[in-house]
Amino acid sequence: MPALLAENVTAGYGRTPIITDISLSVEKGTVTTIIGPNGAGKSTFAKAVVGILRPTNGRIVVGDLDITRMPGHQIPRHGVAYVPQNDNVFKSLTVRENLEVGGFAVKGDTSARMEEILSVFTDLDKAREKKAGFLSGGQQNLLAIARALMVGPSVIVLDEPTAGLSPAYTDVVWNQVERIAASGTGVLVVEQNVERALHHAHFVHIFVAGSNHVHGLASEIASLDLAAIFLGRAEANRS
Amino acid sequence: MTLFWLSVGFGFVTASVLAISAVGLSLQFGITNYINFAYGDFMALGAYFTYVLNAEFFHLNIWIALVFGSLLMGILAVLLNQFLLSPFARRFSKSFYVMIVTFGLSLIILNVIYSIWGPNVRNYTMPLEHVLHIGPFLLTRDQLIVMAAAVLMMLGVHLMLKTTRLGKSMRAMSDNTTLAMTSGIDTRRITTVTWFLSGTMAGIAGSVLGIAEGNLTPAAGELFLFVIFAAVIVGGVGSIYGAMAGAVLIGMATEVSAAFINPAWKLDVAFVILIITLLVRPTGLFSRPGKG
Repeated sequence: MPALLAENVTAGYGRTPIITDISLSVEKGTVTTIIGPNGAGKSTFAKAVVGILRPTNGRIVVGDLDITRMPGHQIPRHGVAYVPQNDNVFKSLTVRENLEVGGFAVKGDTSARMEEILSVFTDLDKAREKKAGFLSGGQQNLLAIARALMVGPSVIVLDEPTAGLSPAYTDVVWNQVERIAASGTGVLVVEQNVERALHHAHFVHIFVAGSNHVHGLASEIASLDLAAIFLGRAEANRS
Repeated sequence: MTLFWLSVGFGFVTASVLAISAVGLSLQFGITNYINFAYGDFMALGAYFTYVLNAEFFHLNIWIALVFGSLLMGILAVLLNQFLLSPFARRFSKSFYVMIVTFGLSLIILNVIYSIWGPNVRNYTMPLEHVLHIGPFLLTRDQLIVMAAAVLMMLGVHLMLKTTRLGKSMRAMSDNTTLAMTSGIDTRRITTVTWFLSGTMAGIAGSVLGIAEGNLTPAAGELFLFVIFAAVIVGGVGSIYGAMAGAVLIGMATEVSAAFINPAWKLDVAFVILIITLLVRPTGLFSRPGKG
């Protein structure tokens, strides 16, 4: 059973669909990336998965639970964590408070979980009483990932987690992403950087004009003419 | 010198009323991100609820009447949000439209007050009080209670925001509502609770304003609203602690200035401070990361 299964998902803003009939699955312990040109609907799909947008068609299943019509605030309780591309931390809250809020979806005391996470994210541990708004961009992205981990997710959705970061911090973030997948969590990453996406992912989906145009193993996708696919000139549903 | 200390004493009382109302307004603004122009009328209506319980029908002690009158205003604020403001906020992404609705709501509430209680000045039923000499200040027991209540409420709000799950959820929502929702916070429930707190604080502020001034009129809240805006903006829009500091600064400045210049210029003093603050520090005294 996959960690996340999306079947024929159509979603958008108002009555205008941005993505149409998207199907994909994220397996436990793997990294799946979505790449594609600007406006392909990558972030829209991520928002539909986590309940920010309600699909007008199709279904989204986590484990064996259908979350398609579930109110957005209930979705994290069922193990789905989300890291948006921008404004991904609570800036006026401290690092510690950000992690506390991240654990609100879980019942019971989360302080042990917080210490466990801070022992991995050592940069954040040193700044635990600092307001998140005063952290660097890279540290904010790491804090956003750490906050998402507070629910002990079975699947984590990351929307361009390395956008605007230095190469050094990009490495740090991807190392954490791989570490999260190695712990058994299914990781879905929306990524603009094709090279990075192919290097770190097990499975890759290419969205073009709101459709899941091509998908397959990262090694297979790497051998394709991606420029032609991005321009919508190549084969669809290769695998 | 005696006049100065007397005015400082009054300044503490005004600052107390202002602090309660400014914090109530800031709590609601932080969560909904639009200004409630009906807040002054919430204050007036809360004061009249207290009046009904204290002087018109049940003849309760003024402080007991204040508690129930304010809670009633809190419940009404929740209902107004649920059935009037929320539907508009959901329909229109721009807060401008909802602000216009609150402006209309303000006029409706004011006219409801006029039609029920009339334009005449009303008074709470309260025992006559001796003035107490406390150091250089001259204050009544009720004014001392108003100040103590304000200090306790500010402390309560501080503890709630810093230590409770509700307070942290409110601060998180104030930063970023969508992120709060995807983190598992029930944003609708938090919004409802915030409207209740904000409405209750408006009721308390309106009632203590009536107690402090010795009378209540339908437009008292509306006139006070401009001073509240000055306190909130001087403190830093969206900052609860800024609202507290702004209230003390504006409350003290308006009362002390009234001892030396024409008291009719109190509002002008508040706006001079507002303009100077905006020129020197446009984000207010307590600007914070995450909120414009």
